[in-house]
Amino acid sequence: MDLLTLQGLLMTGLLRGGLYALMAVGLALVFGVMNICHFAHGEYYVLGAYAAFFAHVTWGLHPAIAILVAAVLSFLAGAVSEKLLFYPLRKLNQSGWVMNAFLLTAGLSVVLQSTYRLAFGTKYRGITQYWNASVTLFGMTVAADRLVAFGIALVTISGLWLFLQKTPTGRAIRAVSQDERGAMLMGIDLDRIQTLTFALGSMLAGIGGASLLSLSPAYPYAGSKPLISSWFVVTIAGLGNIYGAVVGGFIVGLFESVSYFALGQGWQEVASLLLLMLLLLFKPTGLFGTNIKTVWE
Amino acid sequence: MESGLQHRPRTPPRRRSLLRAWLSAWGLSPVFVVGVALLALAPLWARDAYLQRLLVVSLYFGALAMTFDFTGGFINAVNFGFAGFVGLGAYVATLVVRNAELSAWVGLPAAALATGLVGFLTGLLTLPLRGIYVSLMSWFVGMTLMALAGALKDVTRGARGLVVPPMAEGITTLGYLYVLLVMAVALYLLLHRIIRSRAGLAFRAVGQNFDAACASGVDPTRYKLLNFTLSCACAGFLGGFYAHFVGIVTPAIMDTSYTMEVMTLSFIGGSGSLLGGVVASFLLIPIFDSLKYLMEYRLIIYGLMLILVMIFYPAGLYGLYQTAAQALRQRFQRR
Amino acid sequence: MNEPAGQLLSVRHLQARYGRLQVLWDISLEVCKGEFVALIGANGAGKTTILRAISGVIRPSAGEVTFLGQSIGGMPAHKISRTGLGYITEDLNLFEAMSVQDNLLLGVMTRQDGSPRGEALNEVYQLFPILSQRRRQLAGTLSGGERRMLALGRGLMSHPQLLMVDEPSLGLAPRLVLTVFDALTDLHRRGVTILLVEQNVNHTLSVADKAYVVEHGRMVLQGPSAELLQNEYLREAYLGRR
Ligand SMILES: Nc1ncnc2c1ncn2[C@@H]1O[C@H](COP(=O)(O)OP(=O)(O)OP(=O)(O)O)[C@@H](O)[C@H]1O
Ligand SMILES: [Mg+2]
Repeated sequence: MDLLTLQGLLMTGLLRGGLYALMAVGLALVFGVMNICHFAHGEYYVLGAYAAFFAHVTWGLHPAIAILVAAVLSFLAGAVSEKLLFYPLRKLNQSGWVMNAFLLTAGLSVVLQSTYRLAFGTKYRGITQYWNASVTLFGMTVAADRLVAFGIALVTISGLWLFLQKTPTGRAIRAVSQDERGAMLMGIDLDRIQTLTFALGSMLAGIGGASLLSLSPAYPYAGSKPLISSWFVVTIAGLGNIYGAVVGGFIVGLFESVSYFALGQGWQEVASLLLLMLLLLFKPTGLFGTNIKTVWE
Repeated sequence: MESGLQHRPRTPPRRRSLLRAWLSAWGLSPVFVVGVALLALAPLWARDAYLQRLLVVSLYFGALAMTFDFTGGFINAVNFGFAGFVGLGAYVATLVVRNAELSAWVGLPAAALATGLVGFLTGLLTLPLRGIYVSLMSWFVGMTLMALAGALKDVTRGARGLVVPPMAEGITTLGYLYVLLVMAVALYLLLHRIIRSRAGLAFRAVGQNFDAACASGVDPTRYKLLNFTLSCACAGFLGGFYAHFVGIVTPAIMDTSYTMEVMTLSFIGGSGSLLGGVVASFLLIPIFDSLKYLMEYRLIIYGLMLILVMIFYPAGLYGLYQTAAQALRQRFQRR
Repeated sequence: MNEPAGQLLSVRHLQARYGRLQVLWDISLEVCKGEFVALIGANGAGKTTILRAISGVIRPSAGEVTFLGQSIGGMPAHKISRTGLGYITEDLNLFEAMSVQDNLLLGVMTRQDGSPRGEALNEVYQLFPILSQRRRQLAGTLSGGERRMLALGRGLMSHPQLLMVDEPSLGLAPRLVLTVFDALTDLHRRGVTILLVEQNVNHTLSVADKAYVVEHGRMVLQGPSAELLQNEYLREAYLGRR
């Protein structure tokens, strides 16, 4: 393997890692605060992709605005789903929450996928590019879209970090993730925080889908690959660990691009799955896991 | 054990209640007996090939839901890689028949054996894990099986799949129905027997609290492994059957969406009931299939039903049945 | 209802249950402004459950709870907390993975009088200097005594009208028990109204103005601490002497 290929692999791995990190952070947030193993996360990614497609292509909006529209829509969709599904589930049956909520997301995933198919058909809706430009980095030509998507992922994650660390509401979200009863007794409205958390998580997925529209077009089942990858990431990171999810995103991105090169499509999947199983076996709390329950400290 | 003491009636037993106790010990509830009789008499009322096919498919998914429930409903571990095991059974049965040129009567047991073995290994892998992590691990195993089926192109022809010969020369759909009926009844009797034995109590103990079960003298490791091995072996057995029935096997049958479908049936039927999933399957699959215009909405309705059941009625059809039976019994007693 | 002047909290015929298990049968109590009231009773008598039912952590199944003239029975916990009723639980419910300072700042989410947060922080640091030294340390790594201080401090950040404290001396070394009791009397002297749950009857009665005794979910005895200390039954059952 010569140096240029290696550089290329690292580059694609990093760029891909940015998206994984973004998706996985949403997943980790939802698990960390609400204890939901979210299997419909990919569907919000698809929602973002559709929203950006229609905003950009059909209405001819500027790419940045199209992505913003996608972010807002997936945020709202997340909030509505939480109020409609998880809120009543929480109120009606307290026992077995983790399993019930997980099954609920499984149902939600099926419903959303089929709804997309009914509404938009199975047609691929993609664009060739948002920005007609490319950049040369370390002797490699990279489409501007990829870099911009990477940049958006980094900015979004940093924004979330600032929000969680520096604002009272963000601090309240972290408090709920660590001790619900304590948070409640401090006057924090759990219902509100949980809706907000789910909406934020969905928004991260939506931004991911929107910013990568030129690389992976919108279609009803587009969410399953990013979903699986982001589940890999959070397994590596420890389920509710946001900081770990960021690092894990890059690990998975790099690992995938290197093993893809070395092993080819089918065996690459086998390799990453075997690795995950080993990890789960020996370190179920993840590489960065701690025993203290927390989202981002 | 204890339940036996409770059941011993104080007054001299009447013949009917003895019979009933015997029947229920074997799991021969009225629903079961009537259902099996109806299916056995299928040639009398289901002349139509389409209808017969529908019966096979419903029974197949019902039996899968039952096996799924054996783990999900009793040791409280959702095997999220279930479809992977079903697919493994399908592949093993196919390969035995195609490559070793043996009959399906060797292929199906081989499929059960192989999946049982992988199930045992999966059980080992999940031993140190609890709750959702068990589901994650079994999901990864299932996906690995699917990825392998795609990657081992020399053996499986990858995504193009393998053509599977029929189970026997000139077998009809009715023939398949009878084979499956015998398989499903045997599986049910087996699983029910186990649930009713000491092992059943141990399963529930393991499901409720693994560590407490350890402390109370039950050996949870053994029971967890037993449960995983058995339910995976059953899944592989059924998968092998299905490969013959549909005549082709591709990696797609191992997709997580099939796990979801089986899981939905099992939970709508009622977790921890074994037969609930079968009933749900016979109610839902024919309805969706016969109302063609519903096909488009089939998955939406599945998903919505799962959601509604989870939120409003986690006990499922079985819970409904129990409530109704209870009400009826009280009615009778009052008279 | 006809309220005596200065009445802060009034609980009448309160009942509560966990699922089917009824734990509180008929609980009535009153706390007036500036008082130091104690709630004593054996293990499992239902003391913690009383505080939970008042604070909204569980919903009372019957009875009335009035705080500052407003009926709060059945309100969600976060709303009750915002009316100025602080509750420091038996197991503290600290945010283990956050710094001491962040824990304190979370206590001030719901500040009533709008005074700046920095001021409240300084007050607490003055009261418990040890917390000031450890302000960057994670709450999960504090010692048992420091954790109690932090919980108390966090509870004080919002300037509650009434502070309910559940067994603050639980699991502490005798020296630290004294420190905690000192802190509580100090708070009381500064004008904080306190409802204290304790097993340490002797200590408690020496600092409280009045006390209630709970047994099996019912109030069996009540009165000024001085009188209770003379009570035959109490001396026999709780102080182990005649
Ligand atoms: N979450 C719960 N679920 C079910 N029962 C509970 C729960 N919490 C407490 N109980 C029961 O309610 C009764 C009263 O408990 P409570 O905690 O109020 O007692 P306590 O007076 O605070 O005891 P201690 O001094 O040991 O803290 C006990 O019998 C206990 O077993
Ligand atoms: Mg207590």
